[in-house]
Amino acid sequence: MAKKFNRKVGKEGEEIAAKFLSGKGYKILERNYYTRFGEIDLIVLKNNILTFVEVKLKHGEDFGTPEEMIGTSKLSQVQRMAEFYLMDKPKMAEIYKTYSLDAVCIMMGEDGEVGRISHYENLTF
Amino acid sequence: MLTKVLSAAHFGLEATPIEVEVNVFKKGFPGFSIIGLPNKSIEEAKERVKTALINSGIEFPNLKIIVNLAPADIPKEGSLYDLPIAIGILTSMELVKQPEEKSFFYGELSLDGGLRHTKGVFLLALAAKSLGIKNLFVPKDSANEASVIAGINVYPVSSLSELIGFLNGVSEIKKLSHTVHGSLSTGYEAVEFDFSEIIGQESAKRAMTIAAAGGHNIFMQGPPGAGKTMLARATAGILPSLNEEESLEVTKIYSLTGNIPPGEGLITQRPFRTAHHTTSRIGLIGGGSDPHPGEISLSHNGVLFLDEFPEFPRATLEALRQPLEDGKVSITRIAGSVTFPSSFMLIAASNPCPCGYLGDPKKECKCTPRMIMKYQAKLSGPLMDRIDLHINVPAVDIEKLIAGSEKRIGKTQNSKQIRDQVIKARETQNKRFKGLKIYTNANMKNKHIGKFCDIDKRSLLLLKQAVNTYNLSARTYFRLIKVSQTIADLSPERSRRILPNHVAEALQYRIRTNG
Repeated sequence: MAKKFNRKVGKEGEEIAAKFLSGKGYKILERNYYTRFGEIDLIVLKNNILTFVEVKLKHGEDFGTPEEMIGTSKLSQVQRMAEFYLMDKPKMAEIYKTYSLDAVCIMMGEDGEVGRISHYENLTF
Repeated sequence: MLTKVLSAAHFGLEATPIEVEVNVFKKGFPGFSIIGLPNKSIEEAKERVKTALINSGIEFPNLKIIVNLAPADIPKEGSLYDLPIAIGILTSMELVKQPEEKSFFYGELSLDGGLRHTKGVFLLALAAKSLGIKNLFVPKDSANEASVIAGINVYPVSSLSELIGFLNGVSEIKKLSHTVHGSLSTGYEAVEFDFSEIIGQESAKRAMTIAAAGGHNIFMQGPPGAGKTMLARATAGILPSLNEEESLEVTKIYSLTGNIPPGEGLITQRPFRTAHHTTSRIGLIGGGSDPHPGEISLSHNGVLFLDEFPEFPRATLEALRQPLEDGKVSITRIAGSVTFPSSFMLIAASNPCPCGYLGDPKKECKCTPRMIMKYQAKLSGPLMDRIDLHINVPAVDIEKLIAGSEKRIGKTQNSKQIRDQVIKARETQNKRFKGLKIYTNANMKNKHIGKFCDIDKRSLLLLKQAVNTYNLSARTYFRLIKVSQTIADLSPERSRRILPNHVAEALQYRIRTNG
């Protein structure tokens, strides 16, 4: 039950984030790139830099901010998946020598509308 | 915005100023990290500071925060950085203004935003005084430790919100006024046993009085149940209070180890510590990768009682040798070398043999000679040489025990009377060694003996004879003079001069008679 709900929230977040990033001039390459080792929410491209995006969406601040949910272990997981993606697609790896890890954090308001959306670029951990 | 808050780290008995640099970024992925060699307790400060701020009604910023504890190469430990970190964050967010004069912030936060008793405040105050830092913001429960030092402003802070109000000029925190060390007569503290409760053992009581008066080490030997432990514990009741300098030295050590109870300041009662024979060598001597004082330093200027002396591991006992001689112990670890004072009076108690009845007039000893040798060999010559008074505590005669307690009252001295004698003797010694940082006859170095001890010719002759007859060592010779001096100080006529009868009594405690 809870799992199903998580996936729905994830899907919702991805859509909002994709729309937001396209508005900022990013080209969406992949949505929810999925392998049996894990997934990447969004893979986007801007200024010739390949960017892997982790999306976090939260309803209400009762259990903390979405930023708190992205720790070092989550980021290293995203990076591991990024490496896997580049291994999977050698052509991409040839074109784009570097890549960046980004996060998009979305807070939903009580009315079901987007309350706040923050884009953090080039994360390190 | 970047802010810097002053705090301090402890290494041994020295406090080093630490700058807590806090930067709250406008951009960047939100998070909270602490760098500058923090240990686990500082790592956990993140959660404490965060929760304490929220519970003080301040919204914790969803921004990137970096805290650096500079200089970054000194390892830091303890919970004392909670308050400076919190103040740094608040200043960076422009919610409070730091005072213009240099100030130390120090203390552990509770989750509700209150400040908890934190160890080491006394050392912080000493550092503030020597560095010329005017203001001290410390937890209210620990503030009395700091108020002992004159010339600094001590602000007792009870909660974070109170401090925020004060720094913004909204509310007031009353400065603590400087407290002065009380006189020597802090009254008679209740102890387990009174000397008048101990039946018989008059000579042992006399030896105990001499030991307490001059700070001499004493070794008691006797069968089980003779009252050795009782004698030692009763000694706690005849010790005078600490004088001002002694008090400061003891408070330093107790502040570092967090042994000062909340709300209290100077330690004026002379320490009396006991250590069980399973105490580890480090526990007794001090040590650890970040060197901590051991029992010998915790009983500095006081008494350390080691019951069942031969049961201690040999290595532990031998480690006592150097501190017993020097009155201090140097502990060297990779992190550096630390010297802790350890000028204590040792009371050691032991049985004469494993079964305990060697030399007892009534009960037979069941030990084989080999067992006795092995038992007594545990106490090495060099160690025993450092103990000034050796006494036998024989079993008490049953007749005496039954003889009725009423008869004894008035006959034997109680602890209070003995204590008065001890205090007088110590006052004489304090006057004698004024300004020398030594307080008792036992602490005298050989050069002081030449300077202070006035031995008459006949006494000197007696000493010479004793040294020749018993083949006493040079150390024993000097220790004999020190004990004689204490006996002279105790004598009712208060003769400063060492007379033959003083030497004769000192010799009586020196010659070990076994069996």
